[in-house]
This record gives sequence, C-alpha cells and structure tokens, in this order.
Amino acid sequence: MKLKETIKLGSQMLRRASPSTTGSAPPTEREIDLQHEDDEALVRRTQKGDSSAFDVLVGRYKERLYATVYHMTSNHEDANDLVQDTFIKAYKSLRSFRGQSSFYTWVYRIAVNRTINFIKRRKNRNQYSLDDVDSSIQTDPDLVELMSHVTPRREVALTELQQKLNEALQRLSEPHRAVVAMHDIQGMTHADIARVMKCSEGTVRSRLFYARQQLQGLLSDYL
Amino acid sequence: MDCKKAQSLFDDLAQDRLDPETTLQVSQHLTDCTDCRVLAQRAARLQRLLALKRYEQPAPEYLDNFLSEFHSRLMAETQQPAWWEQALGHIDSLLVVGTMRVWRYGLASAMGVAVVVGVMWMSVRQTDVPDSAADQTAAANASLMLADSQSTPAVSHSAPDAIVATVPASLQAVPGDDQPATAGSVDLVQATTHADYTVPRYVLDRITPASYEVPNVHF
Repeated sequence: MKLKETIKLGSQMLRRASPSTTGSAPPTEREIDLQHEDDEALVRRTQKGDSSAFDVLVGRYKERLYATVYHMTSNHEDANDLVQDTFIKAYKSLRSFRGQSSFYTWVYRIAVNRTINFIKRRKNRNQYSLDDVDSSIQTDPDLVELMSHVTPRREVALTELQQKLNEALQRLSEPHRAVVAMHDIQGMTHADIARVMKCSEGTVRSRLFYARQQLQGLLSDYL
Repeated sequence: MDCKKAQSLFDDLAQDRLDPETTLQVSQHLTDCTDCRVLAQRAARLQRLLALKRYEQPAPEYLDNFLSEFHSRLMAETQQPAWWEQALGHIDSLLVVGTMRVWRYGLASAMGVAVVVGVMWMSVRQTDVPDSAADQTAAANASLMLADSQSTPAVSHSAPDAIVATVPASLQAVPGDDQPATAGSVDLVQATTHADYTVPRYVLDRITPASYEVPNVHF
C-alpha cells in the first residue's frame, strides 16, 4: 500500500515537473488538507517520502525568502535563482534535519548563507535588477512626509530614492547587509536573526548599529 | 542610564519591546541627553526610510510558476552526471578541438608508455648489485672461513691435483707483510689486493701468510 502511494505521488510530481505545466493549477483536496498541517508534520511527511508536503512548505515560505534575498542582492533574477537553490538544497538535506530549530529558521539560514556566498563571489560586480515599487507606497505617510520637502516631481524622486536605497545597501558588507534586510526591512526580531545567523543577539545589535551608522552617512540627503 | 545602554535600546523602544520601567528610563534619558535624542531621531528616520523597501515587490505572476520551476530544477539536478563524469567530459572537450582529435590518442599513448617505463625502472632497481656493506660482510666471512681452514691441520683427505681453486683476491699474500705473527695472536691487517676494492678488507693474519699453492678449500 505504501509503495503504491509512493509511486502515485512520484508520478504526480513528474506530471507537475513537465514543461507543459504552466501557471498555478488549482489545489487538490489533498493539498488543501496539507495546508492545515504545521511545519513539523510536513517535514515528517516529506522525510517519509511525501513530496507534496514539501510543496506546501515551499509555498508557505517562498515569498519571505525571496524578499530577504532580493533586498540583499537588489537583483530579482538572482533572488529567484538563489531561492530555488535554497529549496533544492533543503529538500536534499531534509533527511539530516533533526528539528533542533524550526524548519523556517533552518531554511532561512540556508538562504542567507547561500546569498552571502553568492555576493562574495560576485564581489563588486553589482547588477541591479530592481523590482517595481508597489503603487500603494504613494499613500505611505513616511514617504509623503519625506517627499514633501525633496521635490514636487514625485515619480522621479521615487525612482531616485529606490536607486539610492539599493546602492547604499550594496555598499554594506554581506553580514551587515543581511541584518539590515532582516531587521529594518523584513521586521524580524533580534532573537530570530541571531538564530538564523548562528550568532548572539549582542552581535546582531552591534552589526545593526554599525550598518546604520554607515547608512546614515550614505543617505544623509534623505534624513 | 548611560548613553551606551540607552542607544542599544533604541530599536526595542521603537518597536515597543521594552517593559514599562525600562521604557520610562530610556525616555527620561532621551529627554535629558541631546546627543542621544538626535541619534534616536536619525535612527528612526533611517528605519522608516528602509521600511519603504517593503513596497518593492515582484510582478504578481512572478512567483506563480515557482513550484513548477522548482520541480524541473530538482529533476534536472538528480539526472546530472557525477562530478568525475563531468571532469572527464571537460578534459575530453579540451582535447577535441577541431581537427586535433589525434591528441586524444597521443596523450593516452604517452600515458601508457610512461606507465610501462615506470614499471620497468622499478623492476631494474630491484635486481641491482647488492650494496657495498653487504659485499664487505660476505667477503669478510669468506676470508675468515679460509683463514681458519689454513691454520688447522690438514684434513686427512687428499686434495686431487686437478683441483685448481680460484683463490679470492682477498686471500692472497699481503705485500710487505712478512713478519709472521706469534702463534695464537691475531693481528688485523688491512689487505691490499690486486682487485679494485674501494673498501678495505681486513683478514685475520695468523701464523703464516695467507698464500696458497694448493688451497685446502672445499666449495
């Protein structure tokens, strides 16, 4: 019975992996059931051979991982590749995952480490490929207050601001960039960041302090 | 509260993560310390500026195909050849450039010849003449045996006249040494022979010089 189920799931996975699959298919009943499972249960299912459980985990965390990696690289194509690599690595290594940390922390750590290594290999060859800015930013009170005294041409100022922010972030070293992306942009706590980066909270705070000092100098025109 | 402590709590104060007592202390410090107040304001503006990056979003359909792409990549990765197969492929592609296919076979032949030469060299090394220390020991032992046999009374067997033994050069008379030693005494005399021995050979010089006309030696 188990073997049949495994073969059936494998063939489902193969069908999904075929090039003819485009767009997002409506979720099956089984997938809807799996959506209610917590991460631990999904990890256990995946370790036993249920690959559709891992699909749920991918769907659950792909946006958050993508956002952090994008803010570290300022390139949405690189961000997509890195997050794909992260989930592939996580899937292959799931057998050795012992649950000492949450699955979210564990996969986040893989993503951040891979991104840091990627940035180091890329060195100073920064290639910006920025995501579009959501139109709802126009009504953000912080932006309104900021733009009111910068320039009346708000569209130009917004593009320039986005460019300046990304350039400033790229001037930071990889660990400092990571903590700024996770804390100041993603809103993670010091404790979560310390778990992801396997360092103390004090180290996270000192890195943030140093990174902000640098950013204040680079973005002084907007402060 | 000192400035260093207060500055370390700016984040937590901004995000309401402090207990009421600590919040009061930090707020009081900011009221009293101008430098820290300015720093706190700049830090808060910077955080609000960085938070605007949250509005940077990929196109809505950008991540829709993420899962199918993940499956495709996973499938491709599991079908990838092993690292050693990739390495051999790279070497092969380097050697096969246009019409230079012959180099592939040339390299293989050269490697084969090198292996054969190496094996032959190793076998030759093992069949070389023994070293001089072993030679010296063997010759010394032989000379000792012959010297002993000379000093003892002749054995009652008769050596046929036809026997002509080749006397080792080390057993020939030592030139200039015509002083027979007293019975029972042994002098070590360096033997100089006609043979080209680079290592001096020592023989026990007994009562009579070691010269034989009819060697009483059994081989």
